[in-house]
Parts: sequence; C-alpha cells; structure tokens
Amino acid sequence: MTEHRRGRRDEWLAARRELLDAEKEHMRQGDELARRRRELPWVPIEKEYVFETDRGTKTLAELFDGRSQLLVYHFMFGFGFRADEQSPGCTGCSFVADHFDGAVPHLNGHDVTLVAESIAPLGQLQAYRERMGWRFPWVSSLGSEFKYDFGAAFTEEQQRTGAEYNFRHVDQPLPQREGMSAFALEDGVVHHTYSTYDRGVEQLMGTYRIFDLAPLGRNEEGPASWWRRHDEYGTPREEATG
Amino acid sequence: MTKHRIATQEEWQAERKELLKEEKELTRRGDELARKRRELPWVPVEEDYRFEAENGSKTLAELFDGRSQLLVYHFMFGPSWEAGCPVCSSIADTLAPQVPHLKARDATLLLASRAPLEKLLAYRKRMGWGIDWVSSGGSDFNRDLGFLYTQEELKPFLEGEIPSTVEQNARMCGTDAGGYVAEGPGLSAYALADGTVYRTYVTTARGLEPAMAYYGLLDRTPRGRDESATEPLWLRRHDEYELRP
Repeated sequence: MTEHRRGRRDEWLAARRELLDAEKEHMRQGDELARRRRELPWVPIEKEYVFETDRGTKTLAELFDGRSQLLVYHFMFGFGFRADEQSPGCTGCSFVADHFDGAVPHLNGHDVTLVAESIAPLGQLQAYRERMGWRFPWVSSLGSEFKYDFGAAFTEEQQRTGAEYNFRHVDQPLPQREGMSAFALEDGVVHHTYSTYDRGVEQLMGTYRIFDLAPLGRNEEGPASWWRRHDEYGTPREEATG
Repeated sequence: MTKHRIATQEEWQAERKELLKEEKELTRRGDELARKRRELPWVPVEEDYRFEAENGSKTLAELFDGRSQLLVYHFMFGPSWEAGCPVCSSIADTLAPQVPHLKARDATLLLASRAPLEKLLAYRKRMGWGIDWVSSGGSDFNRDLGFLYTQEELKPFLEGEIPSTVEQNARMCGTDAGGYVAEGPGLSAYALADGTVYRTYVTTARGLEPAMAYYGLLDRTPRGRDESATEPLWLRRHDEYELRP
C-alpha cells in the first residue's frame, strides 16, 4: 500500500465536513435528474413482443405481472465478457444481476416488476440461474425483435454497417451489449419510458458505489479485468490463470 | 396515475439524448467525489475495541480478516430489540451479495450491531443473509462514531412530534421511538497498514443510499421513488410484504 497522508481526528473532521457539502450537492443533482427522467415523454409500443417464461408464453404487457411499472435488464448471454459454453452468461451482466435479488422484494412491494431478458433458449437461462443461485424472473426473447429494438442487440448487418448504441452511432457494434429499459402500463397500453446503457448500467452495480467509499476506491486498472462470477473467485483454476 | 405526456420514438430520443449528457456529467462528478474521499487523511484508531464474532472475541484489526480494507455497516439493532431495523435490513439485502466481489478487491465488509451476537445470528438466519455480523455491544465503538445517542440527547426530538415512520419502524423492532432512535445507522471504512488501523471515512443518513439498491432502480422507473415525507415509509422486511392473491 502506498504511504497515505495521516491526520488527527480534527483535521479529518474538517476535511470530511467539506466533502459532505459536496456529497449533498451531488445527491441533490441526482434527485433532480431522477425528476427529469420522470418528465421524459412516454412512447406507446405498438409492436407485439412475446417471451418464453417460467410460466409459459407471455406478452410484454403480461410481464408486468399485475404491477404498473416494469424494468427489463438486457442480459448478455451466449456472448459477452468471459462467456463460453461452460459459462454462457456474460461475467459483467452476472455481476450486475448479483444486485437484483436483494432489490426485487422491495421493488415488487412498490409496484415495480423487474425481469431479465436474453436471446437464448429458456432452458439455458434457467440452468445458469440455478448455478448462480438467483431467484429473479428471467425470460427468453429468442425469436423476438425486442432486444434489437431496445438497442441491446445488433443484427449481423448492423454489426457490419453500424447502428446506434447508448444514443450515439457505433461503426461496428458488438452482437450484444448491456442495458436496461423501463416501461409503464396504462389503460392496457405499454409505454417505453426510459433506457440506459454502458456506464448507466454501472449505476445499478451497488458494489462499485461501496468501493467508492473504501480507502483504496475501485482499486482496478480499468473495469472488468478482475471481474469473475461470484462462484469463481479464488478457485484454483482462477488463481492459476488470473 | 395522472395522464403522462405521450410522444413518438424520435421525440423521446431527442429528449433522452439531452438527459444523457447530464447523466454522464453526474457520473463524472461521482468519480471526482470518490477521488476526494480517497484523499481524506487517515486517522489512527487508538481505542482497543472488542467485538463478539462467530469465531470468538476479535479486535478491530482482526476483523479485516487478512485484507487491507474494512467496511463496517452499523446495523440498528439495540440490545433489547426483538428484530433488526427494517431499513437496515433492506441495506443488508443489498450488501450481502456484494461480499464476494468486495473480497476479490481486498475489502472485507461486515455488519456490526449492539445486540448480543446470538440475537443477530438468529435474525440473520431468518433473513437468509450470507454476510458476517459482529456484536459491538461490549465496547464504545458505536458511541465513539456517533451512532449511539443517550436519552438525554434525544429529549428534544422525543418531545416534538415523532414522525410516523419512526413510530412504525420502532414497532416493527419491538421497541419504542426513544429506543429506536437511540441507535444510529452508518457506514465506516478502515485501512490496515503496518499493523495500525486507520479510520478513513464515515457516512450516515442519505450517505447510505448507495447501499439501497432499490432506490437506484426506482430512480429509473416511470414513477420514481413515489414516497413522501408525510406518509409512513413503504419499506418492509423482504419477508413481510403482503402476498398478492
């Protein structure tokens, strides 16, 4: 560990109070942005999307499961960081998903349903979910244009000729990227209200927000390099190759 | 729900792009704040605190468990309470799954409360959390950090009108308002270098929102947090939400 500046308690307290003012300002700016998000217009969805779920085939409206708001996490599967045949779920999306089960009961209790969505057969999603010990609903959008329409998957043609990801043009997008979309159900009509991608998804990774309070911070060269699935840290295989 | 403004995909896209600029700006300001936190001076901890852990009595240095960083979530659970604070419980819901990832970057995260260890472990079993929990009831750890108040200090608060959320949470913990607010929530961070423990950071109140995963998600839903200061908090323990028919 590099030598760090040591201080007396009163020196720390003075510096901490100053920082607290900046933290409060940042918090209020965050509240303001949340308010601005709620002011975005809603876009009615006219297309019929169908998903395979644990409880049979469902439309997008049915995914709300009786609530008025829906969050869909676009989970990269069969492609992504350290994804292979043995472990087809993207390691980064798996890290994001580790944060879902703790939040789901509270979201459900507050009129919000959260589901993950991937373009893979439902059986593969169920098997991977069982390995990871997750409980959140995970639906298959295989055969549907859902993930493509909401900017988290790209056709072979788009991969060659370019498409928009995170609201800007990308010359050669990857087959899949991370993202989350929000929907509202009103008078039987589903509306798209919000989508976020890239570092917007990082805001859902509570672990990073905790690292940001720790003495060494994120303690990484760049994101991703150290990420492992939660059952892969410190295993002999990882230590040998890591 | 009030009728909301409806738009075409193109109109939405234009407004969303504008908002993205500000979201990026906020993310960068957050990075800058994290950098400033790391620049705070480190304060040596001179008190000899003792904690009751599952594997016996431990010093603060021993709680690091071989790593160089320690994060302690001060979970409100008074010695006489019947159950832990419901808001702290929602925080533990968020923190428990983070443990393996934090460990991988040299950080130990655990919960500390003043209630006896046995009570903490029984409650943890009920809630199904895989995170270490220690009792700090035998030392001044909570008091020194400002997370324990005397009834004398609380008098002005208790003589005023007590917020309905405080009454509700106190009831859910099997205590009264005075017993509930005697305990304070918080997060404190420590570094271990050359055998010395340093306190690096302490936060409380809304500074704990990073440990409430559901708020980050609600801030991206159509209706947001949908709560008000005048109504009792909607939050319950994860096993206490009413099952829908």
